[in-house]
Amino acid sequence: MRATPPAAGGSRLGPTVVALARRALVNALRKPQFLAPLVIFPTLFLAINVGGLGATRTLEGFPQVDGFLDYQLAAAILQSLLIGGVTAGIAVALDIEGGFFDRLVASPAPRIAIVLGRVLAAGVIAAAQVVYFLVLGLAFGASVKGGAIGVLCVLTIGIVAGTGFGALGVLIALRARSASTVQGIFPLVFVVLFISSAFFPLELLSAPADVIATYNPLSFIATGMRQPIAFSNQWLPVLEGLAAAVALTAVSIGLSLLALRGRLRDA
Amino acid sequence: MQAGEVYGFLGPNGAGKTTTVRMLVTLLRPTGGSARVAGYDVAREPSQVRRRIGVALQEAALDPLMTGSELIELQATLHGIDPRSVRARGEELIGRVGLTDAAGRRVGTYSGGMRRRLDLAMALIHDPEVLFLDEPTTGLDPTSRLTLWDEVRRLRDEGTTVFLTTQYLEEADQLADRIGIIAAGTIVAEGTPASLKAEVGRPHLDLVLAPGSDLALARELVARFGAQRPPTESCHLSIALQRGAPDIAPILRALDDAGFAVAELELKQPTLDDVFLAKTGERLEGAEEPGEDAPQQREPLPEAV
Amino acid sequence: MRARLRMVWALVRRGLNEILRVPGGAIPGVIAPTIFMLGMAAVFGKAATLEGYGGVSFLAFIVPVAMLQGAGFTGAATGVNLARDIERGWFDRMLLAPAPRPVLLAGVVASASLRALLPASFLLIVALALGVNWPGMLELSLAAVLVMGLAAAMACYATLVALRFRTQQAAPLMQMGSFIAVLFTTSYAPRELLSGWLGAIADVNPVTHVLEGVRQGFVGDVTWAGTWPALVAVSGLVLVFGALAVRGMSRQGI
Repeated sequence: MRATPPAAGGSRLGPTVVALARRALVNALRKPQFLAPLVIFPTLFLAINVGGLGATRTLEGFPQVDGFLDYQLAAAILQSLLIGGVTAGIAVALDIEGGFFDRLVASPAPRIAIVLGRVLAAGVIAAAQVVYFLVLGLAFGASVKGGAIGVLCVLTIGIVAGTGFGALGVLIALRARSASTVQGIFPLVFVVLFISSAFFPLELLSAPADVIATYNPLSFIATGMRQPIAFSNQWLPVLEGLAAAVALTAVSIGLSLLALRGRLRDA
Repeated sequence: MQAGEVYGFLGPNGAGKTTTVRMLVTLLRPTGGSARVAGYDVAREPSQVRRRIGVALQEAALDPLMTGSELIELQATLHGIDPRSVRARGEELIGRVGLTDAAGRRVGTYSGGMRRRLDLAMALIHDPEVLFLDEPTTGLDPTSRLTLWDEVRRLRDEGTTVFLTTQYLEEADQLADRIGIIAAGTIVAEGTPASLKAEVGRPHLDLVLAPGSDLALARELVARFGAQRPPTESCHLSIALQRGAPDIAPILRALDDAGFAVAELELKQPTLDDVFLAKTGERLEGAEEPGEDAPQQREPLPEAV
Repeated sequence: MRARLRMVWALVRRGLNEILRVPGGAIPGVIAPTIFMLGMAAVFGKAATLEGYGGVSFLAFIVPVAMLQGAGFTGAATGVNLARDIERGWFDRMLLAPAPRPVLLAGVVASASLRALLPASFLLIVALALGVNWPGMLELSLAAVLVMGLAAAMACYATLVALRFRTQQAAPLMQMGSFIAVLFTTSYAPRELLSGWLGAIADVNPVTHVLEGVRQGFVGDVTWAGTWPALVAVSGLVLVFGALAVRGMSRQGI
């Protein structure tokens, strides 16, 4: 006796998205070589920045902070989230190369779940990344000036931004031809970070980085996360950071869904 | 193995063929026992062994960025061949395997058959005494396979000893002077193809009589010529022969004299597959499970950081 | 001996194919340290106004770091290529040849040393174009020797990792080794401005001496006091990692 085919339409979207997100998470956990760059490189970078450039706090124009680590934590989180986005893109590209993507497309699963599942997984991993760096910072003497609300603000902005970067990674994977192409994007992560005020105050950046950083959404996101950690819960920077993260995420998800449609049309 | 022979090494997946080859060519240290190749102990004198063997492994591992000529010349250099002879020797071997026109192209553009041929040429660059071929025709089209078989026969005629592992019984039957069958790490049979087949059975004459024939009477009639297998279908006879083809005419005459009409007949010889089945309990062709012989498998690795 | 040198040269030529025959193959090894150099200078440029930087720009201070990073990445890439060769079976082919194992290693390491000159040269050109003073031929010659030496040491380290794990998935481990070695030094700031723990690490990290050796000419002049520790350090790294790598190679097969 044949099983009744499932009802078509959006009713299965939720469970499918969750199932694909779970698969993405399990795969990531089973490949430490994927997760290591997310955490280890930014941690090493953070350590060297703090250890090597702590004296720059004495520069005129540098804001008053308890410690250079407090100032740098947001940059480390942001760097980690960006690498997470590239990693999500590489995973999708490998799915495409390996044929799993075709398997999903050929199934009755709603196709937008292919993007949304990966994006949801990116958000979950982002939460873990933010928590990791906050705990690390606390362990090494930093503190979150904004208290519990401050932690919540950092988490919220971080998760939204991480979700957005994941969607960007998916977008790049859908447009690129191979996983190695997506991997080639890796250096750009550092470029866009360097031309922001993630690591250093806007006033102290050299030209032309200072001009670009003024408009770079990453500057707003970094500032939004840094405010509650290094300073206090001032709503404007936090809201600006959140708005930048939301806008980035919305645009990225929209573009990746369009890219998915384009890819399926061309198949 | 005897010098100058082609030795076929057969076994199901996971039996230990590739492990054996890797030990004999000094890529894997044996955990026990000893082996001598070209007169040298593989464990104690590996460098001497390597000078005298040529190896074409299961994967034709070639550098896709290099041309065929460059690869041959690199191999020659690594074997310490006199630089004045490298180019000439390379051209000779490239020509021998029919790759002259492709020699200047990068290996990344070669077909599977071309890669195998280049792999063989590289294995022969230093004129080895013993040549190891690990499943050399797997994945090749029939024409390329036959070309490679001709090359193996030519090498044998020139005096090279060839150790050949293969999944294809026909290949072993065609090429090997002697065959060894390995199962679960042990040699379970060894001999010439003919002697191995003779060990497990006799030729059979399968007959199909005209419809309506009295099968019982026919069976009684031919009983004196040899043992019969139970009929699997009506009007079918299957008789074991002592000698083979020479035994057919008397049987047909007897049936004809008794008024039986023979619609079809077939002489069936025992095959290596029958040998394999008798010695290992399974058939070689159609074995599906990837085992230690699959080139991708390696021992489990610790996860990298 | 001549035959062995020919073998090494043949392997070096093969190693150079990665940048000569792969379209854009040279780019990643050059782009990453360049982005690092320019980015760090753009972000932290004002740090050089602090006492201790010798009055030079942050860019001039950091060029040597980028050069050594390029050397480190090149060494790591060599290990990744070896892991790929192992995965594809090409390494078995090398082991089957009668070429001694140290010769195989020498070929891999020598190609890394030569390749490291490419990012170093590019970085120098970019730095000069952006106003860094010409360091001088003697200084550049010393820098070249140290860059090549560090690339060789990192290639030996990456070879060890490749032989141990036999997969390209160990690439992050190779890259991280070089990252840590080059950056946990006086990379961003002079010794007196480093925080306590980083200063302690920099004091015992031999690459600090290598970095200070390369930094001569970009900051200050070449002196024997600044040169001999660098040469000793890089020689020591090559000897130690080289010996370990030779041992690792010799254990392959029989």
